[in-house]
Amino acid sequence: MTVGGGAGGAPSAIDPKKLRVYGLAGALVGIYLAAILNSVLGTDIFSILAAAGAVAAAVMGANAVRRVCGYGIGTGVPSIGMLALGMGIVGASFGLSTAEQLGISMAGVIIALVYAMVFGYIVGAIANKVMGFNIPIMEEGLTDLSGAGAMAIIGWSYAVSGSLAYADMVTKVFNTGYLAIIFICGGLAILHPFNANLGPDEKQDRTLVNGLMVGSLATVAVGLCSLATLSTTAALITIVIGAAAWYYFYVWYYRLVKRDAAAVVGTGLLPPSAL
Amino acid sequence: MDALSMGLVAAMGALATVAGASEDIESDIGSQSNPNSQVQLAAQVGNPHRIYNKAISGEPPANALWATTAAVVAYTLITKFAMPALFAIAIGASVAALFNGVFSTSAYFGRSASQRRFNQWIYLDIVRYTTTSIMAHAWITAFCITCIAYIQTAILTPHHPFPMPVIALIWGLTVGAIGSSVGDIHYGGEREFQWRLFGQGLNTMLSGQIVRKAEAGLRNSIDNAWFCTKLGGPLTGLGFGLTVFLDNWRTTVFDPVTQAGLAIGMGLFFVIIMNLYNFYVETSIRKKYGPYPGYKGDIAA
Repeated sequence: MTVGGGAGGAPSAIDPKKLRVYGLAGALVGIYLAAILNSVLGTDIFSILAAAGAVAAAVMGANAVRRVCGYGIGTGVPSIGMLALGMGIVGASFGLSTAEQLGISMAGVIIALVYAMVFGYIVGAIANKVMGFNIPIMEEGLTDLSGAGAMAIIGWSYAVSGSLAYADMVTKVFNTGYLAIIFICGGLAILHPFNANLGPDEKQDRTLVNGLMVGSLATVAVGLCSLATLSTTAALITIVIGAAAWYYFYVWYYRLVKRDAAAVVGTGLLPPSAL
Repeated sequence: MDALSMGLVAAMGALATVAGASEDIESDIGSQSNPNSQVQLAAQVGNPHRIYNKAISGEPPANALWATTAAVVAYTLITKFAMPALFAIAIGASVAALFNGVFSTSAYFGRSASQRRFNQWIYLDIVRYTTTSIMAHAWITAFCITCIAYIQTAILTPHHPFPMPVIALIWGLTVGAIGSSVGDIHYGGEREFQWRLFGQGLNTMLSGQIVRKAEAGLRNSIDNAWFCTKLGGPLTGLGFGLTVFLDNWRTTVFDPVTQAGLAIGMGLFFVIIMNLYNFYVETSIRKKYGPYPGYKGDIAA
């Protein structure tokens, strides 16, 4: 945690509205494509698509953290990431269980998303109006974060359970305790990108590539869990694709670090100006 | 209460002591959590340094991640592949250590790159030898905590009703919180500002003026680990070990169902005794070392 200050207004090359569309659409398409392909073809090997959707949502969440925390919330970065997943879990559980009660489990994701975003807006309004944060984009940021949290939870949970039915989620994700890794690894995927790049020379592309990298790592973790719940083929597909994506994004991230750093040296004393 | 349960509780206490010590040293090598503020500020006030900047998050979420990763992998290997528990937990801890390495290096790279205007360089030799030390300590923490979670859910009777990864998550959060509040002070208060008078507190104008030079050459994070191993790490271990041991001792001696009142009463008794002891420690230190030079009396708010 740090008090080092944020990016002060957070200038961004990619418009947050565009990222929101990419993130939410990516998550919905990923989860629904996985659900439809799996049920139509009677397999579970497409579960990776839901995890990919979760990564898209996490990147959108990372951008929302960046925007909100750019107003100088240094030590609050980890807290807001945990808050995002907390709100997301409420939304996801509500959406999936309501849909199951109504007998339309496929609609659970949409219900969860809408409910989570409304919930996030209310939490943001309370943070601003009652607790007096006075951050202009607080409501918008927490709406995004809550939606991203819900999509991340559902996407990665689907990659473990292979089903959108709430009963399957309970037996395969909640009762086994795999929700714990989805919660903490998903939370880190949303909070780590901005936290790890905090500082006056933070750049949006570097932060978001870090988000993709951590999201891919979370996919590997979820893949390891799915060894116990899905077929071995499906689990291995998730692990291998997750690991390959992680490697790709880590190398990309390192390239951006070399681009942005004052200097990357093998070894050496302090910079001449500081000795 | 039976002898086996009491032995298991003692083993959990011992594992927790080791986990607490390694957790604190792991966070100190990387300058995580509270001391990180000063490491981050140092470059910004004109003091670039060769100290690791592992800003992953607060210690509780970070350690929850290592412990949970180790626990889910071990749980999967035990339940699905019927692997021996100790072997499975060791593999889980190794995966957790790899995750730790990814988060540590990406934080060091990112934080340093975001201080371009302050001329904070990225030193790859630091990444090479410090990251492995961090990962090794994370391995020990994850291993011990997953062992505790396994004992609680599979061996100790009655078995804990929560699944093993959730128990590991909770203990991970706990060890992080204890390390953050107990051990970090030793590093952040004394090591970073060791040339200030003891008890002076941290004046705002001293922010970022951390010690950057060692007995020979420039100070690095391994030097900080050496210092913190003497007091900060063991004290954190003691704190976490006592938490795990005393909490489980009272529910092992007294049956949580039929003797719930006694178990709760014993918990309250421990809390009161510890508060009294803390009060004694603080007053005796104030008597021995205070008032601090420069103390001008309380300032009205």
